[in-house]
Amino acid sequence: MSARLAGTAALLVALAAAPAAGQQAPAGKAIYEKWCAGCHGSDGKGDGPAASTMLPRPRDFTRALFKVRTTSSGSVPTDADLRHVIDDGMPGSAMPGWTDVLSESDRDALVQYIKTFSTAFQQKPDVVAFSKAPPENAAAIEDGRRTYEKLECFKCHGRAARGDGPSASTQEDDSHFPIRPANLEENWRFRGGGSVEDIYRRLRTGLDGTPMPSFNDMLAAKVVTDEQLWHVAQYVRSLSPKEPPEPPEVIRARLVEGRLPTSPDDSAWNVAERAYIPLVGQVIIKPRWFSPAVDAVWVQALHNGRDLAIRLVWDDRSRSPDPRWSEWQRRVTEVMGPKEDSAAAPAAATSGTSGSDAAPPAPADRASPAGATPAVPALGDAFAVQFPREIPQGMERPYFLMGDARNPVYLWYWRSDAPAAVEATARGLANITPIPGPSTLRSQAVFDRGQWRLVLTRPLAAPGGGDRLTLVQGEAIPIAFFAWDGSNGESGTKGAVSAWYHVYLDEPTPKTVYTTPIATAALTAGFGILVVARAQRREKQGGSKGD
Amino acid sequence: MKSRLSHPFVQALLILAVAYLLFRFGIAYIPPLLGVKSAPVPHTVLLQYMLTVAVGVLLYVSATEDRWRAFKAPIQRVLVDPSQRLYRLALLVTVPLLAGFITYRQVRPSVEAPPNLRSIHPAPPSTITFRGKTMTLAGLENPLRKEGNLRDHVEEGRRVYYQNCVACHGDQLNGKGHFAHGFNPPPADFTDNGTIPQLTESFVFWRIAKGGRGLPKEGTPWNSAMPAWEDFLTEREIWAVIIFLYDQTGWTPRTWDTAEGGAR
Repeated sequence: MSARLAGTAALLVALAAAPAAGQQAPAGKAIYEKWCAGCHGSDGKGDGPAASTMLPRPRDFTRALFKVRTTSSGSVPTDADLRHVIDDGMPGSAMPGWTDVLSESDRDALVQYIKTFSTAFQQKPDVVAFSKAPPENAAAIEDGRRTYEKLECFKCHGRAARGDGPSASTQEDDSHFPIRPANLEENWRFRGGGSVEDIYRRLRTGLDGTPMPSFNDMLAAKVVTDEQLWHVAQYVRSLSPKEPPEPPEVIRARLVEGRLPTSPDDSAWNVAERAYIPLVGQVIIKPRWFSPAVDAVWVQALHNGRDLAIRLVWDDRSRSPDPRWSEWQRRVTEVMGPKEDSAAAPAAATSGTSGSDAAPPAPADRASPAGATPAVPALGDAFAVQFPREIPQGMERPYFLMGDARNPVYLWYWRSDAPAAVEATARGLANITPIPGPSTLRSQAVFDRGQWRLVLTRPLAAPGGGDRLTLVQGEAIPIAFFAWDGSNGESGTKGAVSAWYHVYLDEPTPKTVYTTPIATAALTAGFGILVVARAQRREKQGGSKGD
Repeated sequence: MKSRLSHPFVQALLILAVAYLLFRFGIAYIPPLLGVKSAPVPHTVLLQYMLTVAVGVLLYVSATEDRWRAFKAPIQRVLVDPSQRLYRLALLVTVPLLAGFITYRQVRPSVEAPPNLRSIHPAPPSTITFRGKTMTLAGLENPLRKEGNLRDHVEEGRRVYYQNCVACHGDQLNGKGHFAHGFNPPPADFTDNGTIPQLTESFVFWRIAKGGRGLPKEGTPWNSAMPAWEDFLTEREIWAVIIFLYDQTGWTPRTWDTAEGGAR
């Protein structure tokens, strides 16, 4: 009886599946060739022309290992799982969502076509039964934090969950590409989505093809309960802001009384607004860098009318140089290293605007990537805050990538392997020369569990010479940011960059800001009383209705 | 209920409220439901629309003597009727407070970035120097369209695009690559009908070859993250990627008028 039922079911499945796959695959193939092959390759091996500029690499469909599933570890995903990734993309990677470009039937056809790349899809997906989320409260989050410790999540993700654990530097995916454990403070970059439910599902299913395991075995062995996994998910979610941060156009430096905080961990910083500035790879000038380790910096600024202090907080998994990370540095340089050393560039015989930039690398860029020695150079971490040399009157400002010979920029340049930050002039990217003579720039940095916190302080007034910017209150001052992670092989043109933003030093509030509204309110009230009084007088006098 | 709705004062208030909701939210969110792109109405325009509606409402309520009287009655009552004393007082307090608050919002120091005006399609130069070779842009055609197999050029352009352009312009060619959020101005969206369909292939060649740095001042070359691709790509590679851009998006390039004056 049951055998016959099973037989019928199998026949039905075969009947339903075979023609569907047979008919839809050609349609899916054309869409795949047009939109997917550029990254995933015509044969689905994840080796399209764009692949070498991406880390993580595009998915290799022939391995049938998928990160985001609702199925047990090692099982193929369901059709709905594949559709979900096509629809919503993979946040924090190069994979976008496709709902705006492809119709629903196109996306379904793609799902069927992707399944033709591996015979693994002949097996049935083993769907995991998920439970419902328990209530979220402080006790649950605390239990989640304890469970995070107990399950040793910190080994990869770190004690402060910034993806900087002791094993972080040795991780690789199933294709042996280096892979970074997720920074759990940035849930908007989680590949499978940043909600509590998304995180719980990743804990149950694992991210196949990556070192992130499924905790189903632990669950079966009763090492951990299902509720505790939910608590871990709630704890992890609590580490990120409620909404993904958006960069402001203007970073506001509030005016405060008395001394400015010079230590990065001074509680006085709590009053300053935090501005999120995204950083991306320098992909404009040779040699380019497609795999920056630093993806953002949080900027705060305060001033007291005499000095300006800027606090910069960025996540960096390593305090470079660090020998524990040299193997990582070697591997990342190997798979992401530019095949376009500036020496090999075609002669830049170009029109006037760009011709002046072809300056040789400055001596400050001491670790040239051109060195062909197999040993990796010991590179420090570095950070630069960029200003124009004077506040621009019109719209024109120096080129956002550290200016050029004609229009240089003024930098606050800090290195983890130098005693203090220096003031410098840059004439083009990585062409950095310290400004000679005594400097009034002060710096203090701490490295704490995968995070640099740096405070730079300078008087508003700039002593002599046109090299240094005089900081002015009440004006939007252009500002930009650069970060290098030495252990990621970054220095010179290989680093993370930002666009121009602005910093605005608050002026003392003029009294009219308070007197004008009060005067307006009083006048309006007076006028109102007048209208009422007049209407009442007319009512009494006339008795009859006037108009 | 019906009698209330027929009261001109209630009608006036209702019309104003519905108009406000329609202008403020309806214009932005209703057309997308029908698949038409839309955007929120700027505040100054909203104010203008509301003033027009207010004038219309005044015309309507004052159209007949009876209606005008009925419209004014509740106002008059609030102003004079002893039973409305509390209401009157409340209005006399809240309206001035509101006026003060609005004034405060106007005069308080605001932190704003200076305006960044930028010409999207500045006039191209008549000639450019590409790796030492002088090229005249006016009348310049894409030479690859006249040679070989177009599909081969598309595939070559695809390779060039995915190796070089995807990080910013994205694999959907919509300017939303995974590095796009780091740059300002944002990378061009080739699916937008204001970009490549408005341009000749020679203009696109100039923009790719010389990049952001090669823009005239009105194009704010100091902000643009577009590389000068002549440092990376050959002339043929640039022409091929241009063919790919038009092929992948389905746009056709703007063409030069022929000497006879007819557009082809």
